Amino acid sequence: MKILIIEDNVALSKSICDFLAAENFVCETAYDFHTAMEKVSLYEYGCILLDIGLPDGSGLEILKELKENNKTDGVLIVSAKNSLDDKIAGLNAGADDYLSKPFHLPELGARVAAIIRRRSFEGKNLISFDELTIDINAKTAQVNEQELDLTRKEYDLLLYFVSNKNKVISKGAIAEHLWGDDMDMADNYDLIYTHIKNLRKKMMQAGTPDYIQSVYGMGYKFAVPK
Amino acid sequence: MKLFTKYNRVNLLATTIIFLLASIAFSVLITYVLVSQLDENLDIERHEIKNYIEKYNRLPETIPVKDQYTSYVLTNDPPKKKKFATIRAYVAESHEYEMQRAVVFPITVNGQSYSVTVAKSMEGTDDMIRSVIAITLITICTILVVSFLTNRILLRKLWQPFYGTVDKLKNYRIGRLEKIEFPQTDIDEFSLLNSTLESATGKANEDYLLLKAFTENASHELQTPIAVIRSKLDVLIQDEQLTETQSSLVEEAYEHIRKITKLNQSLLLLAKIENRQFMEITAVALQPLIIAKLKQFKELLRHKGIDVIVDLQEATVNMDPYLADVLLNNLLSNAIRHNAANGSIKITLAPHELSMGNSGVDHALDNSQLFVRFSKTSNAAEYNGLGLSIIKEICAVNNYSIGYSFRERLHTFTLNWK
Repeated sequence: MKILIIEDNVALSKSICDFLAAENFVCETAYDFHTAMEKVSLYEYGCILLDIGLPDGSGLEILKELKENNKTDGVLIVSAKNSLDDKIAGLNAGADDYLSKPFHLPELGARVAAIIRRRSFEGKNLISFDELTIDINAKTAQVNEQELDLTRKEYDLLLYFVSNKNKVISKGAIAEHLWGDDMDMADNYDLIYTHIKNLRKKMMQAGTPDYIQSVYGMGYKFAVPK
Repeated sequence: MKLFTKYNRVNLLATTIIFLLASIAFSVLITYVLVSQLDENLDIERHEIKNYIEKYNRLPETIPVKDQYTSYVLTNDPPKKKKFATIRAYVAESHEYEMQRAVVFPITVNGQSYSVTVAKSMEGTDDMIRSVIAITLITICTILVVSFLTNRILLRKLWQPFYGTVDKLKNYRIGRLEKIEFPQTDIDEFSLLNSTLESATGKANEDYLLLKAFTENASHELQTPIAVIRSKLDVLIQDEQLTETQSSLVEEAYEHIRKITKLNQSLLLLAKIENRQFMEITAVALQPLIIAKLKQFKELLRHKGIDVIVDLQEATVNMDPYLADVLLNNLLSNAIRHNAANGSIKITLAPHELSMGNSGVDHALDNSQLFVRFSKTSNAAEYNGLGLSIIKEICAVNNYSIGYSFRERLHTFTLNWK
């Protein structure tokens, strides 16, 4: 699956590439408006990360170009301006999702995964991970045909983990995903622990191995234990 | 004290003193002139008597003349020369004393020495002096009253442009885009004042706007590097070779990047609110919004064992919905953050008032420092001290009042709107 990263900041572009590359994505980068225009007109991508504030043109123009040419690439807008206007303009112009800087890479990963899922498995909404199956539409998870009784937060957490499988996710990224950045959860990271503990218990009771590994108290990694 | 009052006080005092001195001088002078006149007349009488005696060699008959009295006293010790004096004498006709001017001089008739006294009543002179004093006093009073009134009216009119300028200045808020326009005046001093104020406020305003733009731009510019650092950390922790020590270093770096991010977002939000970028005024029903917020924070509240007491009536505010959300978010976050363990939060919503109180430290906070940017009333280094500034700024752009009080052991913030 090819992903195009249209982002003028080379360092950030490289981080995104590094992070997503492990996910079997092939990343291409465009650092300016013209390169980006050229690439989107020549190739097709599973998902395009689009920075609105490019130095030599607006990302919205690229988005319009895509829509005019009936391209079906998924588009995730990334904007430094945490402004509602940008968000609305982007979504109205046909973007699939919007993320404002600064973001956690796992969040980006989850959003990209969601876009690709929506675009490529039309009608099929099941994600599998080892013995685990997640039904996106029903918002449920099953282990060997047996449905897990998950709370909303536990389900969100599970989907987030699966979307970032085999990656270490920092506690901050988890907190922001579960509660948004409105809520200052910094001194309440133990709440995350409570949810993770419960999720782990429910999965293991259903017979899965322990997928959730704690990484030096810094974050968590969802993977099939070796 | 008004400038005019001060000026008038000095002016009136000086005028009164000058007039009093002048009237004293005037009455002295008039007295002197009138007495000299009397003396001259008396001298003429004396000459007449002398001439008569030289001609007829006998004393003249005393003919009663009104207000004039002549007497001849035979004496062995006559005055050496003529002498004028003011005397107090009894007047037989009116049976009372009066002031008289008299000349006493010696004459010799048939070898007999006489002391002659010719006196004239000074009643007329006194009357005249009295009139002069009266006229003077009346003049003084009239002048004082008239000048007081004209000054008052005239000066009020003259100062009109000044008060106009002050009024304009009073209603002026720095940071507004419109330029301040002072009333036109043809008085040089005031137009100098106006033009000076105009350029001073213009400069201050320009600086202020630049500073605001600077804050916003700086925050914007900071966002990308922050995003880069955070993304590098996100990539770094994927490294399986990372040791425990390195991991704890990374964790601390994360923690501080989170703080910078929060700080930067707060600054940017403040700048945007100040720049009035959230002005999509809509009627926002607060009751459902508060209920939704409480639901959002439910988990956190339960986690911290905070008991929430609500008394919500229906209330609507006209403001930007995003700001309404930020406002409630910050108020509630604040109440949770600074709460005591197993504490409580009390939210009261009335049609024109919202108050939110939380338990916490057992003394009132310093009201003067509370809303100041970056001021930290508690020792919590965790927070950037901008939360309340944002609340205050939101209230300011919407003309709400906000106050803090410590009542029933609750730190309470109360918002009022019309």
